[in-house]
Parts: sequence; structure tokens; C-alpha cells
Amino acid sequence: MFKTSEKIIGIILIVIFLFVFYLTLDANKFKAVVRVVEGEGVIGLNPTTERLDFGDLSRGTSAVRRVSIKNETRLKLPMRVAMFKLGGISGLMDIDKNFFKLKAGEEAEINFTVYMPASAEIDKNYTGRVFLFKIPVI
Amino acid sequence: MAIVGAIVYGLPKFLSWSLNTPYPMAAITSGSMWPALNEGDLVFIKGGLKKEDLKEGDVVVYRNERGGSFTIHRIVELSENDFTTKGDANFQEDKPTPYDQLIGKALTLSGKPLHIPYLGSITVIANNLKQ
Repeated sequence: MFKTSEKIIGIILIVIFLFVFYLTLDANKFKAVVRVVEGEGVIGLNPTTERLDFGDLSRGTSAVRRVSIKNETRLKLPMRVAMFKLGGISGLMDIDKNFFKLKAGEEAEINFTVYMPASAEIDKNYTGRVFLFKIPVI
Repeated sequence: MAIVGAIVYGLPKFLSWSLNTPYPMAAITSGSMWPALNEGDLVFIKGGLKKEDLKEGDVVVYRNERGGSFTIHRIVELSENDFTTKGDANFQEDKPTPYDQLIGKALTLSGKPLHIPYLGSITVIANNLKQ
């Protein structure tokens, strides 16, 4: 059967897997979208929904969406907030703070800014996702 | 371990020799070349170029006027004594650069700059840790 060292390694791997699984399930997932429109200084509607919808932007303009996050863990543990962006919009999006610590009960605002560069394709929708992980700090 | 060591120390030397430049790789640290190159990409630079080897549309690396740092942008105009570049994502062209400031040209694959996503970020972090 298994040696003691193999059992210990197995248990450690299971714990790591469960921890990562929990973090992934607990992560906030935001769908992000922006549409490029023709013209100068055109900024379209920016509807407040669960999505990070930056509306319509013309080249050279930018839009900001704000997300509030509160550390409401039952164990009153501080947590580290880490965000990852994926998809076509990720190269256009700037996140004002990342990998920061949040004390128990503390609230923070995160600004997501999309700037439309000269090389953006007119009439194209750039989409993607932002994953917001909350990692308990022990 | 020996293999990893050989790759870490040997690969840059090999690339330097084969691409004919002391700077065979560059990490992209801004979005000025989006979408051709993204922040965090690693690109390969071919050096030892002459004025005649350049053409409009080439993505080149040069020493910028700020001194120590490099810029990687696309050539939009070639003149007798200098060349003018522009970042794809930028609205304005850069100031003309004399040919002696040219470091090299980005290696391309099917006409697009050859790049490895995210690997540039790792080199930037590693360099910061080293300092």
C-alpha cells in the first residue's frame, strides 16, 4: 500500500486542491464589454448592471466602472483581493488597484477604466471577463 | 538541474549570438502597440541591421531620447538620416530617431511580431527582484 510520506503528500495535495476549488467557486466573475463607435469624443450609455459594461466609446475616449467590495467573512479574517482579466478587452482595461489586503469589515472601491486606443476597430465589441478572487490571509 | 541551468544561462547567450544583438529579447511594458503586442509579451529582436534592411511597417526597437530605455514601435516613415515610428495604439507619431539609435527589428511570424504572452511580465518581475 502507500508509504506514510506518500499519504502526507496526498493529503497536502487534496487540501491545496480543495482550497483552490473553494477560491474559484467564491470568486466574483464579471463579464466586461465595450463597443467601438465612430466619431470624436463619443461616449455612449453606461448602464448599471452586474456586467462591467463600458457602453459605446469612440477612439481616444475612456470610461470608468466602479465595483465595491466588502470583506464580510464570518471568521473575521483579513483577505487579499486578486483580479485577473481575460479576453479581448483585457488589453484595453486598467484596474487601479490589485493584489491588495482588506481587513475584516473593511470596504474598498475598485475602478476599472477602459481607454479606446487609435488601433481599436470601429463597430467591434471587445469582450472579456474579470475574475475577482478573495484569498483569506491566515 | 543542469539542464535548467543550461537553458537559463545558455539560451540568452545563444539568442544573442544567433540574432546578432546584445538585446535578443524585450518585454513589452506598455499597451502602445496593442493589439499587435500586449503588455507582458516577450518579443525577439534581430540586430545587426542597416538602413537598407528597414521598411515601413516594420516593428523596431530603438534607444529613445530618454537615454537608457528602449521603445518598440512601428516604422511609419523612413528618411535619409532618421526614421519615424508610431505605436499602433497611439494617435501621434514619435519624434524622428537617428539610425544609430536602432537596436533591431522584431522577429515576425506570418507578418506579425513573434511574441510569447505573459513571459515578459516574468522577466520584468525577475529583473526588479534582482535590483
